[in-house]
Order: sequence, then C-alpha cells, then structure tokens
Amino acid sequence: MISQIFILSAKGDHLIYKDFRGEASKDSINVFYEMVTALSGDQPPVVMSHKDLHFIHVRQGGLYWVASTKTNPSPFTIIEFLNRLAALTKDYCGSLSEKSVRMNFALIYELLDEMVDFGYIQTTSTDILKNFIQTEAVSSKPFSLFDLSNVGLFGAETQQSKVAPSVAASRPIMSSRGEQGGKNEIFVDVIERLSVVIGSNGVLMKSDIQGEIRIKCFLPTCSEMRIGLNEELNIGKSQLKGYSSAVRVDECRFHQAVKLDEFDTFRILKVCPSQGEQTVMQYQLCDELPCAPPFQLFPSVEKDYVNRVMIFLKLRCDLPPKSTALNVSITVPVPKGSISMSQELSSPDQTAELQPKNKALLWEIPRFPGGAQLSALFKVDVPGISSASLLEVGPVSMSFELPKQTCTGLQIRFLRLSPTQTGLSQRWVRYVTHSDSYTIRI
Amino acid sequence: MTDSKYFTTTKKGEIFELKAELNSDKKEKKKEAVKKVIASMTVGKDVSALFPDVVNCMQTDNLELKKLVYLYLMNYAKSQPDMAIMAVNTFVKDCEDPNPLIRALAVRTMGCIRVDKITEYLCEPLRKCLKDEDPYVRKTAAVCVAKLHDINAQLVEDQGFLDTLKDLISDSNPMVVANAVAALSEIAESHPNSNLLDLNPQTINKLLTALNECTEWGQIFILDCLANYTPRDDRESQSICERVTPRLSHANSAVVLSAVKVLMKFMEMLPKDLDYYGTLLKKLAPPLVTLLSAEPELQYVALRNINLIVQKRPEILKHEMKVFFVKYNDPIYVKLEKLDIMIRLASQANIAQVLAELKEYATEVDVDFVRKAVRAIGRCAIKVEQSAERCVSTLLDLIQTKVNYVVQEAIVVIKDIFRKYPNKYESVIATLCENLDSLDEPEARAAMIWIVGEYAERIDNADELLESFLEGFHDESTQVQLQLLTAIVKLFLKKPTETQELVQQVLSLATQDSDNPDLRDRGYIYWRLLSTDPVAAKEVVLAEKPLISEETDLIEPTLLEELICHIGTLASVYHKPPSAFVEGSRGVQHKRLPARAGSGESAESPDVGQSGPTEAPPAVIPSQGDLLGDLLNLDLAPPTATVPSVQPSMQMGAMDLLGGGLDSLLGGDIGGSPSMGAGLGAAPAAMPAALGSAPAVGGGLGDLFDLGGGVGMPTGAYVAPKTVWIPAMKAKGLEISGTFARRGGIIQMDLSLTNKAMSVMTDFAIQFNRNSFGLSPAGPLQVLTPLSPNQTIDVSLPLSTSGPVMKMEPLNNLQVAVKNNIDVFYFSCQYPLSLLFVEDGKMERQVFLATWKDIPNDNEAQFQIKDIHLNSDAASNKLQGSNIFTIAKRTVEGQDMLYQSVKLTNGIWVLAEMRIQTGNPNYTLSIKCRAPEVSQFVFQCYELVLKN
Repeated sequence: MISQIFILSAKGDHLIYKDFRGEASKDSINVFYEMVTALSGDQPPVVMSHKDLHFIHVRQGGLYWVASTKTNPSPFTIIEFLNRLAALTKDYCGSLSEKSVRMNFALIYELLDEMVDFGYIQTTSTDILKNFIQTEAVSSKPFSLFDLSNVGLFGAETQQSKVAPSVAASRPIMSSRGEQGGKNEIFVDVIERLSVVIGSNGVLMKSDIQGEIRIKCFLPTCSEMRIGLNEELNIGKSQLKGYSSAVRVDECRFHQAVKLDEFDTFRILKVCPSQGEQTVMQYQLCDELPCAPPFQLFPSVEKDYVNRVMIFLKLRCDLPPKSTALNVSITVPVPKGSISMSQELSSPDQTAELQPKNKALLWEIPRFPGGAQLSALFKVDVPGISSASLLEVGPVSMSFELPKQTCTGLQIRFLRLSPTQTGLSQRWVRYVTHSDSYTIRI
Repeated sequence: MTDSKYFTTTKKGEIFELKAELNSDKKEKKKEAVKKVIASMTVGKDVSALFPDVVNCMQTDNLELKKLVYLYLMNYAKSQPDMAIMAVNTFVKDCEDPNPLIRALAVRTMGCIRVDKITEYLCEPLRKCLKDEDPYVRKTAAVCVAKLHDINAQLVEDQGFLDTLKDLISDSNPMVVANAVAALSEIAESHPNSNLLDLNPQTINKLLTALNECTEWGQIFILDCLANYTPRDDRESQSICERVTPRLSHANSAVVLSAVKVLMKFMEMLPKDLDYYGTLLKKLAPPLVTLLSAEPELQYVALRNINLIVQKRPEILKHEMKVFFVKYNDPIYVKLEKLDIMIRLASQANIAQVLAELKEYATEVDVDFVRKAVRAIGRCAIKVEQSAERCVSTLLDLIQTKVNYVVQEAIVVIKDIFRKYPNKYESVIATLCENLDSLDEPEARAAMIWIVGEYAERIDNADELLESFLEGFHDESTQVQLQLLTAIVKLFLKKPTETQELVQQVLSLATQDSDNPDLRDRGYIYWRLLSTDPVAAKEVVLAEKPLISEETDLIEPTLLEELICHIGTLASVYHKPPSAFVEGSRGVQHKRLPARAGSGESAESPDVGQSGPTEAPPAVIPSQGDLLGDLLNLDLAPPTATVPSVQPSMQMGAMDLLGGGLDSLLGGDIGGSPSMGAGLGAAPAAMPAALGSAPAVGGGLGDLFDLGGGVGMPTGAYVAPKTVWIPAMKAKGLEISGTFARRGGIIQMDLSLTNKAMSVMTDFAIQFNRNSFGLSPAGPLQVLTPLSPNQTIDVSLPLSTSGPVMKMEPLNNLQVAVKNNIDVFYFSCQYPLSLLFVEDGKMERQVFLATWKDIPNDNEAQFQIKDIHLNSDAASNKLQGSNIFTIAKRTVEGQDMLYQSVKLTNGIWVLAEMRIQTGNPNYTLSIKCRAPEVSQFVFQCYELVLKN
C-alpha cells in the first residue's frame, strides 16, 4: 500500500505532496532527497529504505516521482503506477516539466485523489478519470526553444515536412474544452529499439528488437479506430517463412482495450483510444533480423611506435540509400592511461574526443546516409604501453536513431476512424528505430 | 494567469490577506484563495490558522472548490480536532447528496480525517454508502472500512462493517469487488487468526470471474489475494492456474508478476508427470523474458525475482540464456544481477557461449563488473567440469593483461579451481607467481599465499616467496596474517630442513608480537602441535580437504520457499522475508508453499502435513553450511530455518567456505583444538559396553537409574522416531540417524549408524559444538568395532548438560561432528526441549502465583494447539510423563484451566496456563517465562507430547 506520494524537482523542491495513510511524517521527503542524491552510480536506485519506510521512485521529465510505503507491496505495481502518473500528468498538462507541474498543482492533487485512495490504486484510465476531474489544465507557452523536452522523440524535425512537428504532440489533452486551439489530431507512432551484438569476425551474434505502437490521441470523443498492420504479419517462432517477404515477430502483447476479432485474419487492431498517450501493442523479435544490421564496422588496432595505439575504423551504413541515420555516436574503449589523441576524420561535421575518465574515445556523426562509408583514424598516446594494452581496446558500442524506419518491417497500412469524425481530424503515422544496445566486438 | 504564482514567498500579513479573500463573496476569488492556501501547504508553510475560514468555504455547490477545501481538511484536521467538528454537518449532508460524486467524495474525505470525534459520525453515512446504488460510491465506501479499521478496529467490528464488506465480494461491479478484496486482505493481515477472508471454492470462483472484468490495478489485488489461498487438491489447483495464465500476457508488468506468483505457488501442488505441468513451465518463460525489455528500474526488480525463480525452478529459463547477456548500456546494478543469473543457468549445453560472453565482459570499463565477470569465469569452471580447462586458460589470458584488479580476481578464483580439481592445473602456478608483487588486496594476497603454502613442494623458491611477505607481517590484514602463518607451517611440514628458522620467526610474530587473539591462538596451537607430535601435526595441518560445492550464494531453502510466496513484492527485491523489514504485526505471518499432492515427493517440499497424525519430530536440520560455519567460528548469517522438515535438507551451499584460505583452518580450529583432538583421537574400542536392544544404556550408567528412580517417574516420555541426520552420500558411506530421549533423568542421544560403503569402518568418536544448553557427550561413543558394510548399529550416548554454552539459532540446534577412520563429518539436528525438563519441576502453588505475577506481561506468549481429543486429565497425565507438571486445575464455565510448571536443566522456570474447552479440540496455551525465547520451543514440546 502506498503511504505517501510526492513529486520533487531536480533541486529537491516540493512540488506535490500527498499523504494517504497518515503513517509517515512529512520529513520523509527530505530523507528521500538526501538519500537519492547521495547514491553512487552502482547502487540500484529502485528501492531505498530508511528505517521502516521504503521509497520507490522513477525519474521523468527531470522530476522525481516518489512513492513511500511501510508494507510489503509490489514494486512493479508502484513503478508502473508512477510511470502512469507521469504520463497522465503529461497528458493533462501538455508537457512534463517542473513548470507545468507547478502550474497545475491543483489539477494533479485532484488526479491523485481519484487515482489512489488510502494507498490502493484505483484507476489510471483517462476515460474514467475525465468523469471526475473538474480543474482545467493551464498550459505553458506552446513552444519554447529552450524547452528541450520538446525535441525528444523525433530528433527528426529537421527532416522533410512529412514528419509531424514534434511539438504538435505536446499539449494538454483537455484544453480543448475552453479554447478553440485544440485540433482533432491523432498520432500513431511505431517505435522500435534495436539491440545487436556483432562478433569480432563480423558475424551477427545476437539481435533483438523491442517494438511498440503508441497512440497519442487528442480527439475529444471516443470513436472506434481501426489500425491495419501488414497483412502478411506472422506471429510466433514456428511459422514457416516460405518465399514471401513476410514480416514476423516472436510475440506480441496488447493493451487491454484493444479488440482483436479482426486481428487473426486481417491484422486489424480495433481500439477506442482514450485521450492521451497509450501503448496499444508491444512486440518483440529475437535473433532473426529481417534485414542486414544497419552498421558494419571494419576495425584495425595496431601498436605504432613506442607509446601509441593506432585505431583505424571503417564504418559502413547498410541502410537503403534514401534513408539516413541520425545522431550516430561510436564509443571505443581505449587502454588505461591514455593521455591524448589525434584523429583524422573524413568530414568537418564529425567530432571525436578522448574521454580519459571513461577510458574511451567518442566519435560522433550527426548524419549518416544509407550506403555510405566513413572512415576515421585515431592515434592514441598511451605512455607505458604493453602488448596487453591492445586487449583493452574492447567492444565498440554505437547509438543512433533511424527515422522513418522499422527494422521488423512492420508498417501501418491504414488508420480509419469510424464513424467518420465530424470536423477535421488529422491523423499522423510516424516510425522510428532507436539503438538500444549496439555492440561490435573487436 | 497560472497557478505558479501561488508559490511566491510569504510576505508579512499574507495570512491576513488570505483570510480576507477566503471570506469574499465572489466564488472565483474564494477558489483562488484556497488554491493559494494549498500551495503554501505543499511547500511546508503553516496555514493552519486559516482553518475556520477555509471550512466556511465548504458549503458550496462548486465541486472544484469543494475538493480543494477537502484537501486542506485532510491535512489539518488532525492538528485541529475541535475545529474539524465544524465540518461534520456538511459531511453528513453531503453523504445524502443526489450526486454520487459528492457522496463518494464526502465518505472518502471523512475516512481520511483521523479524528476520533469525526469517526463516530462516520458510521451511519458509511453504512448507507456501503449499500449505495452507485458502484462508485460503494467502491469508495469499501476502502473507507479499511481506513476506519486503521483508526478504530473495535468500532468496525462492533458496527458489523466486516460482514457488509464480505458481502461486497459478491458485488456485481468488479471494481467494488477488487476494493473489497484489498480492504479485507489488509484487515485480515492484522488479525492473523481471524477467518475474515474466508477463501473457499465459491469465493475463489467469484474472484476469478471478477478478475476478467476489472481494471489492471484491481486484477493485482485479486491475484495477490488468490496467492493466499491453498487449493484442496491438484485438480482445483490446475483449474485456477488455467484461469490465471491469460494474465501472463498483460501489458502491465505488475499484473504479470502477481500472476507468476500465483502460478509458482500452485504449481507446487501439481504432480510433475502431469502434461499440464510441462505446459505451464513453458508458458512462464516468455513473460519473464519480456520483463527484461522494460526500463532499467523494472528490469532490476524483474531480475531480482528471476534470480529467485531460477533457484527454485531452473528448468523454466534454461533455454533463455541469451536474454541475460548484458548490454553495454545497462546500468551496473542490472549488469551484476544478470551476471549472477547467467552463472546459475550455466550448464554443459551453453557453457561455450557463456564463457565467450564472460571473456568479453572482463575487458569492459567498469571495475566492479569486470571483477564479477572474472569471478564468474571461475565459478563456471567449478560448476561445469568439462569447461574447467577452457576457463583456466581464459583466466591465464586475463592475467596476461596485467590489469591489476583483473589479476587479483583471477588469482582468487584460481585458488578455488585448485580446490575443486586437485592435481590438474598446478602447471599454472609459475605464471601466478610472476604476479606476486602486483597483489595489493588482502583477499588476493591471502589466496596467493594459500597457493604457495599448499603447493610448497612444487615451488622451488616457496620459502623465499613467503619470507618476502613476512617482512611486513604486522601491516597485513588479519586474513593475510592467518593465511601466512598456516602457509609457513605447511611449508615447514613439507620441507622441514630448510625452513626451521622461518617457521620460528612466524610463530613468534604471531604469538608474541601480535594483539590479535585469533592469530595468537592459532599460533600457539601450531606451536604446541609441532613441539609435541610433528606426525599428528602433519595429519592435522595437511589433512585432505573436503570438496567445495558447485553452487554459491544459494538462498537457504526455507527462506527461498517463503520468498517465492512473496514474488513481485519488496521482499523479493531485498531477498529478505517481510518480517525483517515490515514493522508491527503486518506481514509477520510466514507464508509457505503448499505441499505437493501425492506422498512420494516429500523431498521436493520439506514441510509436509504439518498437522497430520504421523507428525514428524521437529528435527530441523539446517543447511550444512551453517553448521560448518559455526564450527569454524565464522560469522555467517544465522539460519532462518523455522519450518520443521522431515527430510534433512542437506544443503551443501556454503561448503566452499572451507575453500581457499580457510581449508587449513579446519585442521587448526577443529582437529587442532586440544579437547577435540583428544575426543577424536581416543581409542574407542576399549569399552566393554552392554549394547543390547535399544534403548540401550551403557552398563556403567545403570546406577544412575537409581538416582533418577527416586523421583518415581514412569518412563512415559514421548520419544520421537529416528530421522536421518546425515545421509550416506554426504558422509562417504556412513548414514547416521537418530533421536533424543530422556529416560529416568538421563538425557540420551539414540543413534543408528549404518555403513553403506564398501569398506569397514572403525574408530568412531563424537563431539558437539557449543550449544544453548551446554549439551555434551557424557562418555565416548561406544561402537563395537568394526562396522562392516551394510551393518547397522544402534548406540545410546548419554549426554550431560555441563558443556560450554553458546546461544544457537534456533535455540535447540545442536551441531555434531562424528569421526571415523575415513573422515570427520558434520551435521546438525534439533532436540525437543522436553529433553531438558527436569524431574523436580513441580513448583509450589504460592510460588507459582507469585512468579506468574512477577513475570512481566510482555514475556507472555500465546499458542494454539489444534486437534487434540483428550480431556484435561488425560492431557495432564500425558504431559506429566514429559516432566510438565500440573500444579492446579480450575474449571470456569465449562473451561478447564490447567496451571503448569516446567524447569529446565539450567534452572529456567517456565510457567504455563492451558485452557481446554469441552468439545473444542483446540487448546489455548499461554506461556510465561523470564527467558521468553524458550516459549516457542516449550510450545512445540506440548504439541508433540499431546499429539503422540
């Protein structure tokens, strides 16, 4: 059972504090803040305890969302709940920041009152909550250059106009009641996270993709929406693939509001989206990447003179030529005691630096077109080098973003609202693949 | 205009200003003012002075304003109870409002105001709301009962709210059902014995139906409640499992974990050969794997749980090794947990893959992670014999990197590998010796010294190496000093001619120049051993070492069982039982897994038929590791065994305690201690004992019968049947079973020794570790030698209570070492406390009365003895047979009250009051004692005696 819930700013200011059971004092906020700031990097921050009070927290939007308890509840329940609370706050207030929480504290208190009673979680569904909530959201300025949380998900707004501007999705869902500004928009995002391990011989050793379809809905009334996926989508490991270019996932899970009666034959998800953001489907694919991994690396590491290691990296992007990878960064562990580095890069927009503290060098490429090949040479000075030092040049890790791409090939065929919405409703479909953990061994 | 302006700092007279605004006529202004008040309240300012003004705003039809006022009330009512009464009328009126939102709001808020005077007024509205037509009001009222119970439990019972709450379990609305279940579960936790949540097949069916309809959070309440139910048979268990499995594909991980908990528990009841059992195992894997794709926080919690599941049922995830491979961007705490699970899952089938991964990890950046990875390689070698060679060569490669901490970790694990596979990999010693200088951590230094000492005969310059360590002897940590002492003594015994000077030097350093008692003691023991009998010294110091076990860090089985019942809770993250971190009565009940149907599999679940007619004696045998730990005087975690077990759960978990640096201590601390040495070394065959039919008593002890006979006791004491204390496979062919008895004032340990090996056994001797009541053998173990293969011999060993005393955990734990010509074996057993009840334990009535009053009430413990079909006289007679004396009997309203006393060998008096109601098979036993820790065990004796 949850004892208290509080939201703190990164500096430890009390933004929201609610006590549900009267069994712990308000001092616990400060206790928590001291503990969380004193935490060293390798301690699991998930559950912390002070005397007989236990804190569970998540960090979202730069804020601490904390629940305390004196009993033995499920941390899963509480973490899921705190994440939902943050998501709901975002839905109701438009964005998630210290400012938006401060501006809407009355609304958040009201939400909390309905969501939790005596520490028992009651509901987190916007459909149910909208029957009770009286307070109107106050939204912050629609767009601010400094508000970095707006850039987030699709660093791609520099791309062509086909992509919805990312700020469009960060506004309160309920504001339409008062003002005229609210558009009838719905966003459907297909987001995949890619984990790959490539062996030192260039062979793909392990790969998996975690994907999800997320809806962000600003439609005031609930009407049924039909989302058509690729008709040839196969689910399960045992499916025969034959010669078709079938899209396959191992396993999928659905939001409990999704109706699946047309899924088996037509691959259509039927859902009445509630306002706000929700994940309608999650899926995963292990070990069989339907396409080549997006990057191949051809490294060579040599000892040069007495005190220098030469690292020559050739990196090829195996995406189709029309696509581009963004914000590619490559981290290469270097031997202990490396002091300086000189590099030769192929274009001026790339950067590279040595981070002696992390024993690594970081090479960053803002844009990397499909089919291209880039190379770089790094000369790292390591005083007192030994032959074993070369062994320390360990697995290379990469992070990147592939806009308009899904690695599984999952596509949204259509998006239909029925009955047809009165007035204009805009529908957006966006795809993106993030690297989760992309490791290439040397 | 935004709300953030409310947070601006207080100016002088702000309260005054607010007061004016609160009393304004304009609604908008009032609302703004209340918002400001609440903003001040959030940042911690005291705005309680505004109480009357805020309460005045309560009577409004504006719901937004009303909610704000209620928010304020909840916060300040406690500090202003008299003022809070002002609000009561409005609350009561609101509870009658036609709008269900307002009715629910009023009842919810009233429950949160923890003021006694208000709660009185709450009862009537609450009663109405519990029967309200609107489900939203009913579900709020259900929670309100729990709130009220928290404030005033008696009131809730008197008003009959509990029954109404029980009725709500059958409500048509699933949300109401879920809240009723949650409220009842919480109330039931504070009344462990009440039958509040009367779980029977009908209610279970209702819950399962509601499960499909309610919200995700409601599903969690219901699943957690289901987990407390114990199905009647495997069929019911299976049908519940079938209806719970669909929850495994829920998107909310909390629902998934609660479902996993139910399945893990009920699975225990399914016969293993059932097809469905296999299906269920397969179904459990994917949801667990999916949890690992969540955020790191959830991943960590999931991994802690998977760690438990893997220990209990490794088969579930044995094919899923790959998902536990670490990603470079996992936080370190996730990496370390993953590594732990990888080792647990490592087997011959996947070892190549695992090893390749571990080797990669060993070159990563994070020091802690690299260390653990190196250690993991060593553990693989020990666990999977086929991989040992590859592991060793991998470790050697890593040593070549010369990275300081890698080298040190590698040496520590290589030492364990030497222990596991003697005479196989010693060729690498030369490489290890090259790195001697770079070792700066005590553990690595100690490991290296152990290696040098152990293989002194193969290392030409062993004496030089050890001598180099000796230079800074006093700057070393104790661990290294002890190890160095032992290593040099070993070296001396192997190469006496060249090292005499060295050994003298170290002995004098240890005994004369050191302040550390452990070091001095060990130094003296070696010194005496070497000076009196070098041959014996050789046998002790260079004795053959027991093998080390494959698995390390296993959780003790009874704790594991309990933790499995708490999957998905904080307990499963801390790996501690809830009683260890939850205050008060809540969660103290120990949960346990149900017993499997079908009797053939009792080994699988040790706690069989707790109240069955063939009750087994409470001979709990904790894991072997604890025993060894205590015998070695090592500070291990105390065993948490509280569940009586039939099968000795011989858990060799901590065997490798003896590993590494400590093996030679075995010689030092056990074999080497003078008393023990004497005991073990004594020639046992000399006694012409009359070992007739059991119960046999040594002839010379027959006289003692006369002494005891003066008390005139019939030998009616209950003696538990013998149980196996150490199975043959753990003791090189010797099986020992036994029990304890008190016969005519003499405590006896009845042993059956069975030789299941191929060769003859001789030279038996026995020794006890220090224990709570100073039990020790009163004579040598008399065994007619030799014990030929397949022969069983019954021996009775008289015990005295004059041995050294050390408090054990549990109190009645006894750790025993038995020696024969083959080896020394250790086991532990528990004796019934009735062994220690003396014959003159009958207290004078007056003394009894005075003592009973004198002992503080805090020391009183109450127990229930169930299913006894004896009248009070029969019970009293039976108890007298075990020296539990009835002093007085009183009959009040058909209830017999027996007042009884017991005296323990060490002079502790235990007073008891037993209440027997005619026709009720359950007795109530209250025990008072100045040493309350014995009460539990006295109660166990009562139960044992009465049931047999």
